[in-house]
Amino acid sequence: MRCTAALAVLAALTLVLGGCGGGDSEPSPDTPAPAKKPIRIGTKNFTEQFILGELYSQALEAKGFDVEPKGEIGSTEITHRALTSGSLDMYPEYIGILLSEIADVTDRPGSTAAAYKLAKAYEERRNYTLLEPTPFSNVNALAVKPAYARRHKLRSIADLKRLKGPLRLAALPEFRNRYEGMIGLRDRYGLRNLRMTALEDSAQRYPRLDSGKVDVTVAFSTDGQLVGRRYRLLSDPRGVFGAGQVAPVIHRDVLKAHGPGVAQAIDAVSATLTTNVVRRMNKAVEIDGRKPAQVAKEFLRSHGLVG
Amino acid sequence: MLQRIRRTFAEEQRPQYSFSTPTRQERSLLRTLRTRITTRVVALAAAAAVLIGLALLVLIVAVSGQRKAAETAFASQDAVSVANDLEKSLISIENALGRYVATRQEKYLVPVRSALRTYPKQQNELARLVSDDPGQQQRVRQIGGAIDDYADLWVRILIDIVRQDGFGKAADQIETDGGRSRLDPIRRNFARLFERERTVIREREDSAASMSQLAINFGIGGLGLVFILATGFTIYLRRSVVRPVLEVADATGRVAAGDLATRVPSDRVDELGDLARGFNSMADTLQRGRDELEYSNAELMRSNAELEQFASVTSHDLQAPLTTISMYAELLERRRAPEADGEGPDLVEGIREATQQARALIRDLLEYSRAGRGRLTLEEIPAAKIVDQALEALAGAIEQSGAHVTVGEMPTVLADRANLCRVIQNLVGNAVKFTGDKTPRVRIDAERDNGLWRFSVRDNGIGMKPEHTARIFEPFHRLHGEEEYPGTGIGLAVCQRIIDQHGGRIWVSSNPGQGSVFQFTLPAVEPPAERSQPNRGAPVRAKA
Repeated sequence: MRCTAALAVLAALTLVLGGCGGGDSEPSPDTPAPAKKPIRIGTKNFTEQFILGELYSQALEAKGFDVEPKGEIGSTEITHRALTSGSLDMYPEYIGILLSEIADVTDRPGSTAAAYKLAKAYEERRNYTLLEPTPFSNVNALAVKPAYARRHKLRSIADLKRLKGPLRLAALPEFRNRYEGMIGLRDRYGLRNLRMTALEDSAQRYPRLDSGKVDVTVAFSTDGQLVGRRYRLLSDPRGVFGAGQVAPVIHRDVLKAHGPGVAQAIDAVSATLTTNVVRRMNKAVEIDGRKPAQVAKEFLRSHGLVG
Repeated sequence: MLQRIRRTFAEEQRPQYSFSTPTRQERSLLRTLRTRITTRVVALAAAAAVLIGLALLVLIVAVSGQRKAAETAFASQDAVSVANDLEKSLISIENALGRYVATRQEKYLVPVRSALRTYPKQQNELARLVSDDPGQQQRVRQIGGAIDDYADLWVRILIDIVRQDGFGKAADQIETDGGRSRLDPIRRNFARLFERERTVIREREDSAASMSQLAINFGIGGLGLVFILATGFTIYLRRSVVRPVLEVADATGRVAAGDLATRVPSDRVDELGDLARGFNSMADTLQRGRDELEYSNAELMRSNAELEQFASVTSHDLQAPLTTISMYAELLERRRAPEADGEGPDLVEGIREATQQARALIRDLLEYSRAGRGRLTLEEIPAAKIVDQALEALAGAIEQSGAHVTVGEMPTVLADRANLCRVIQNLVGNAVKFTGDKTPRVRIDAERDNGLWRFSVRDNGIGMKPEHTARIFEPFHRLHGEEEYPGTGIGLAVCQRIIDQHGGRIWVSSNPGQGSVFQFTLPAVEPPAERSQPNRGAPVRAKA
């Protein structure tokens, strides 16, 4: 009993003295680092996001990081809250959507770089940050069938106001209450004749348009379906739809915990993602029916980003 | 010489037996082999115990397996039940969340919050119930992770959107069916989990039924085995143990009945063989003893006959010369009486008295040698008549001594008239003779003593010490000198022979100066009753 008490006192003294002397010292290189939690990477609920999630996850894993994919979380509103609630560590976000739907910035910045800077500043105020943006830009757009465009002489979104009667629009539900959605279209183009049909799945957009159930659909500029000339995108001269570059949003503590390798690996992937590349990968999944994981793996291999 | 001749004769006549004592090596071998029956019984019991033990072991294993299978089946049923509840909780969360967003009524949020609090416990319980199935454990972990994602990445966030952005934005999210899309894979996993658990339940039920059948089969088999073993053991014991023992017991009965030639088979080399050999050895010993006894009896009887013949012949043959001597002594006394100088007659008298004494002695000896030898003529006779005859024969002595003889009630007895009269006469004669200075008083009685009549002759004579009461029945044994009380000492010996020959017993109880009571027994004459009754009407006779 006495021996145990003596050992306890000795251990306590060791801890106190160690604490006093080592306040400013770095941890010893021999000290094993505490086990790091896996990096939880989320994605939104459509094909391009699935591919991006796989690209970033596989690239990080190739660099030896432990990754926990959390795919198909939902729209930006859901996914960003998952990030801020601590359920996610990062996810790829579109800068324009981030500004308009999260940061409530409705005035469009003058350039893509300005938008990125603004969005990054917003996230960093909340202890998050944006990694490097992708070269490709995936902006929201409105698409119609070419025949329909010719018949109604449609070139831009503003031309839709000339059409009489209700315009049937296919979009994901969140489009209804977004500025980059029905609100912005009414606000900037005065489109009061749009009747939105909410879709449960983004994959239903083009079939609805093809079958004539809707007149217009919301498109992503990188949709694989846009390869070829089957659909016509209407221009957005009044800038309802913002910058479409993707920048991964990540918690700064994660970057600190895992070191600079995380950002380097993700940025290396982002730098390779041009519009054509992304559109081809989207096509491979949506039209050719391939798995996002396989498509991402092939791409990373072809760019030497995984072994 | 005679003894040597007899020993030789005995050895020649003694039967020779073939029974031989086992050698040391044979005894050692027998000791080794003796344990065979014990070994066989122990081996049989051990084999039975092992077989029954094995049957019980399999039974226990089967029952344990059945129990374990039942427990697993119950656990699977519980797992299905808990998983069902968990799935219902998720569906109720999704439904309530949809209603909450659609109706904007807080009440719908209550079950959502409640379910969010309780589902981790259900998850843990489910994990515990499938802890014996790695595949199911993995599935439960997947389900748990998906449910956590559903709760964290959908339910809580949607509630947060309502709080911060209003119901409109939340409704947009509901429209995307994001919750359903998360629940569907969970429910598919639940379906696989249910399928697996139902398979487990079916398998366990089949296993339990199989184990149960196995247990029943082994139970029946065990009972059958016990029955067969018990029957076999009984048959074995009956054939190998009981039957030989019964044979020995039967042989023992025959030996007890006198058939000493009985033997039992003794070729077995076990304990029962030992028993049989021991029995045969005992029978040999008994037979040898009986043969020797019979031989000794024959020798004794022959010797007695020779002696009695010798005594009879001797006493008879001595009578004639003694009679002649006595006669010549009388003639000499008669012829030489006038010339005698006074001493002649005394000398001749001495010769005559000695001769008479020798004659009396020889007569008594002859009487004793004849007593009990002849064939008895038994007849039912009233004892009173015999007593009367005896008293009449003693009338002179009684009268001379002034004795007072009384006779009680006498029964009818089965006896030889002459011999019984001699017994009464001897006993009463002694009672009258050994009186000392007193006036003799003699009492004769008879009493019933079980199946006998006990006669007693009581006197008030000189009596005797108790230690002499047995020896006075020996021939020629006398307690007093010839001068004091004349006689040869043969009377009581004769009485004893006669009573013995009648199957009775004679004895005396006495003390010096207090008289004596001689008693003897005779068989009673049974019905007709009146004959066995004492002669009530007979008067008590007294002789003075």
